[in-house]
Amino acid sequence: MIKISNLEKFYRTEEVETIALNKLSMEVATGEFVAIMGPSGCGKSTLLNILGMLDDPDAGSYVFNEIEVAHFNERKRADLRKHNIGFVFQSFNLIDELTVFENVELPLIYTGVAASERVKRVEEVLDKMQIMHRRNHYPQQLSGGQQQRVAIARAVVNKPKLILADEPTGNLDSSNGNDVMELLTDLNEQGTTIIMVTHSEHDARYSHRIIRLLDGQTVMENIMV
Amino acid sequence: MIRNYIKIAFRSLWRHKGFSLINIIGLAIGLTACFLIYINIKFELSYDTFNKKFDQIYRVAVDVRHPNAPVITTPAAFVQIGPSLQQDYPEVEANVRVLGARFLVQYGNSKFQEDDIIYTDPSLFNVFTLPVIKGDVKKGFEAPFKVVMTQTMARKYFGNADPVGKSIMLDSKYPALVTAVIKDVPANSHFKFDMAVSCATFEKLNPDVLQNWAGIHGFTYIVLPKGYDFHKLESQLPAFASRHYTQADKKEGVNYGYHFVPLKDIYMDTIRGGPQVGDLHNIHIFSAIAVFILLIACINFINLTTARATERAKEVGVRKVIGAARKQLIIQFLSESVVLCLIAFLLTVIFSNSLLPIYNQLSGKVTNTTIFTHNYVFHLFIVSCCIGIGAGLYPAFVLSGFKPVTTLRGKFSKSGSILLRRTLVVAQFTISIVLIVGTIVVYTQLNYMRSQPLGFQKDQMLAINFSSDPAVQHRVELIKNELKKIPNVASVTASRSLPGFGNGNSDSEIENKAGVMQQILIDAYYVDYDFIPQFEMKLAAGRIFSKSFGTDTSKAFIINEAAAKSLGYSSPSEAVGRKLLQWGRTGKIIGVLKDFHFQSLQEPVRPLSISVDPDFNRMLTLKITTKNIPATIAAIQSKWKTLVPERQFNYAFVDETFNAQYAAQVNFGNLFMYFAVLAILISCMGLFGLASYSTIQRTREIGIRKVFGASVTGIVNMLSAEFLKLVVLSALIAFPLAWFIMNKWLQDFAYRIAINWWVFAFAGAMAIVIAFATVAFQAMKAALANPVKSLRAE
Repeated sequence: MIKISNLEKFYRTEEVETIALNKLSMEVATGEFVAIMGPSGCGKSTLLNILGMLDDPDAGSYVFNEIEVAHFNERKRADLRKHNIGFVFQSFNLIDELTVFENVELPLIYTGVAASERVKRVEEVLDKMQIMHRRNHYPQQLSGGQQQRVAIARAVVNKPKLILADEPTGNLDSSNGNDVMELLTDLNEQGTTIIMVTHSEHDARYSHRIIRLLDGQTVMENIMV
Repeated sequence: MIRNYIKIAFRSLWRHKGFSLINIIGLAIGLTACFLIYINIKFELSYDTFNKKFDQIYRVAVDVRHPNAPVITTPAAFVQIGPSLQQDYPEVEANVRVLGARFLVQYGNSKFQEDDIIYTDPSLFNVFTLPVIKGDVKKGFEAPFKVVMTQTMARKYFGNADPVGKSIMLDSKYPALVTAVIKDVPANSHFKFDMAVSCATFEKLNPDVLQNWAGIHGFTYIVLPKGYDFHKLESQLPAFASRHYTQADKKEGVNYGYHFVPLKDIYMDTIRGGPQVGDLHNIHIFSAIAVFILLIACINFINLTTARATERAKEVGVRKVIGAARKQLIIQFLSESVVLCLIAFLLTVIFSNSLLPIYNQLSGKVTNTTIFTHNYVFHLFIVSCCIGIGAGLYPAFVLSGFKPVTTLRGKFSKSGSILLRRTLVVAQFTISIVLIVGTIVVYTQLNYMRSQPLGFQKDQMLAINFSSDPAVQHRVELIKNELKKIPNVASVTASRSLPGFGNGNSDSEIENKAGVMQQILIDAYYVDYDFIPQFEMKLAAGRIFSKSFGTDTSKAFIINEAAAKSLGYSSPSEAVGRKLLQWGRTGKIIGVLKDFHFQSLQEPVRPLSISVDPDFNRMLTLKITTKNIPATIAAIQSKWKTLVPERQFNYAFVDETFNAQYAAQVNFGNLFMYFAVLAILISCMGLFGLASYSTIQRTREIGIRKVFGASVTGIVNMLSAEFLKLVVLSALIAFPLAWFIMNKWLQDFAYRIAINWWVFAFAGAMAIVIAFATVAFQAMKAALANPVKSLRAE
């Protein structure tokens, strides 16, 4: 599904140039659950942003579903992204002005799904995430675990092929964290490819494969059994 | 989709109540000011448009050219012009004459002096659109002593009874028949009247006037065919004029220029003047103020929205990650600003509707009685939507342009819009300071005009207007003596005019320095022997009128210094003894008075002639003492009732009437002040909002500074200085601008102040103090906060 080779990304301030990704290459097959680990500043988030087409690489190739996307412009990337990729963030990033239902509905609105279909699909996914009873609440009325479940619901409502999770349990206690990891595992078992950035060895153990990064390069890969 | 946008817009506004409140209230205030000015201007520009023949009606105006004298322009014409034009030129479809008149009107026990009467032809009702309620305006009105009255007059004299066919009494001696009742003349008509008396009445009472083409009386209107180019007919007027010169005209070499003034231009014709004249200048000034106030309110919106960008950056990031296209985000932000503007629109409707009476009072003129007319509210709605889109466009583009990668990381930096925000704040305060300076200048000028010595005694002068009633004129000495007997009445004088009451003028010939009889249009006062001493006017040369010279009522004139100067005399004494010809009376100048202001100080003192003529007197002026004025007035009234029972006791104080000339300027000043206050209020609301966002953004910095020892005062100063610098910059831009504009405004006044440095110092200090008070509150709050909290929050 994903093949990147010799990917490079630099950050420049006025005087300093920092290398975030240094000729990084890797592949992720459809249906995989990959964890990316490494110390702060190793390039995990940069990699995730590029994989999620939020950012473009400075050099190298990124093939997504057999399409080279490294040089796509923003509109094309946005288009590809909204139909194929779901995001889960550490800080949930729910929109405060919208209810649970409306937050989850949002991606469907942007992809132009009809209203009746939207209701059906949002209710379906809220049911699955066991958050249906909170559908008319606002994010700030929910616990962290509940918020992250809404965020996951929002990520999967469009039935994306790929879910990118950036430290999804980072703001949760261990019990809520485990629930979230169970949810992701379920999604993966139903066929969704998952790439997750994490600091937690515990969470990484849910994945099939761990890629360890240091200074923008792969230093080790562990295959989980 | 749109429903979704609007829903989100409402929630977002509700969540950020403070921000929304500043924006909505600011916009509503700005829109209200703008809207009230708009409907007022709209009214001013709507003058005479109610006439169905609006684009076909022309006023005939005559210019008079005497040899070696400047052209005298008038809005009026000879009474013969209208009928002659219609006779000579088939293009002229109709003509009508309108002449001013005054009568003491009586029906049964109701008796009032009516000053808004016109003599007119039956064609008036064909030319102008004046709907008839009762009776027939066409039947009978061509005969003498026929009257058409307005609805208000009909009610005043007849109550609910039908006036048609009833007879009223004019000046206690002429019975006149009411032939019709019409609707009141619309408020936006350039001439108004309460009663129309048939022109044949005028001919009956003044048979000689109609015989000659001499003396310019009243207004003449003609109707030309639709789409006709009036210049075509106008070009034939010189030939027409030359056919009608009198022997006297030819002898004196007088020339007349005839002109057509289209009805659409009459009300704004300040050069020729007329019964009611608008002020295009004021319309421009207030249009500019309206636009500026609205601009200030829009700037608040742009500034506060972009200042909040950091807050909304995350939301933009999330939406984009989820799949929002930039276009969708732009629409979302625009719907928010349109929703906000529409809430402001609703408030504006409420504000404007309740403030309209107050606005009318302030402007001194009832223009519109309701805002729910002429589609005004619909226009307001359209403008509100446009503002929503216009002011929302920039923030929408900025916000929707954020990159999700940066905003989601929280590493969003304050963008370059800070410079824009500062520029806009400077623009707001520049406008506000210009308005403050303007207000101070207007009031200082008004004060100056009211406090200048006028050259005569204006205090405790009670003037009784008896409308030249011959019954009073014939017994004037007896009445004066009786009034003088009242305690606290010091002296009494009779005259035709008084300072501040308006006066006529006369086409006269006066011997100039070269010894030539010079033609001059001179303001004319007709008085009695007591007038000059009672008003304590000062003599510059010669003597005043005296009974000991038997010829003073027939052969003596006094002129003022301005007249002497205009005739070329270097000193007033040179003018004494020179010849003067006026209204067929030949005499000599016996004295020159020092200039006194017989008109408002907006005008320079014009040349004036004064002569004694008991037949011309129109009012009596009593000098009373300051002792128990109400009792004195009551005593005068009861004496008046016994002396002149047929006349109402109409009185006014000279100083009050004189100052009433400044009513327009006072209203102008008041409106100016209110708008200046609004401008600074809205600007400060914006500044308050900006300051609060700025301090929120700098919370961490303030925390660090405090940890390392910054004092509260130091932090308040640091935060305030950021904004005060902008206000100081605004002042520097505003000062020359305000000086330029107000200096121009002052040019309209013959006697005017110089704009002092303290005006600028005061306006600048005021803006800075107000801005500091606005910002300091936020700064104090931030400076007093516990640094531990602000650092932990990061």
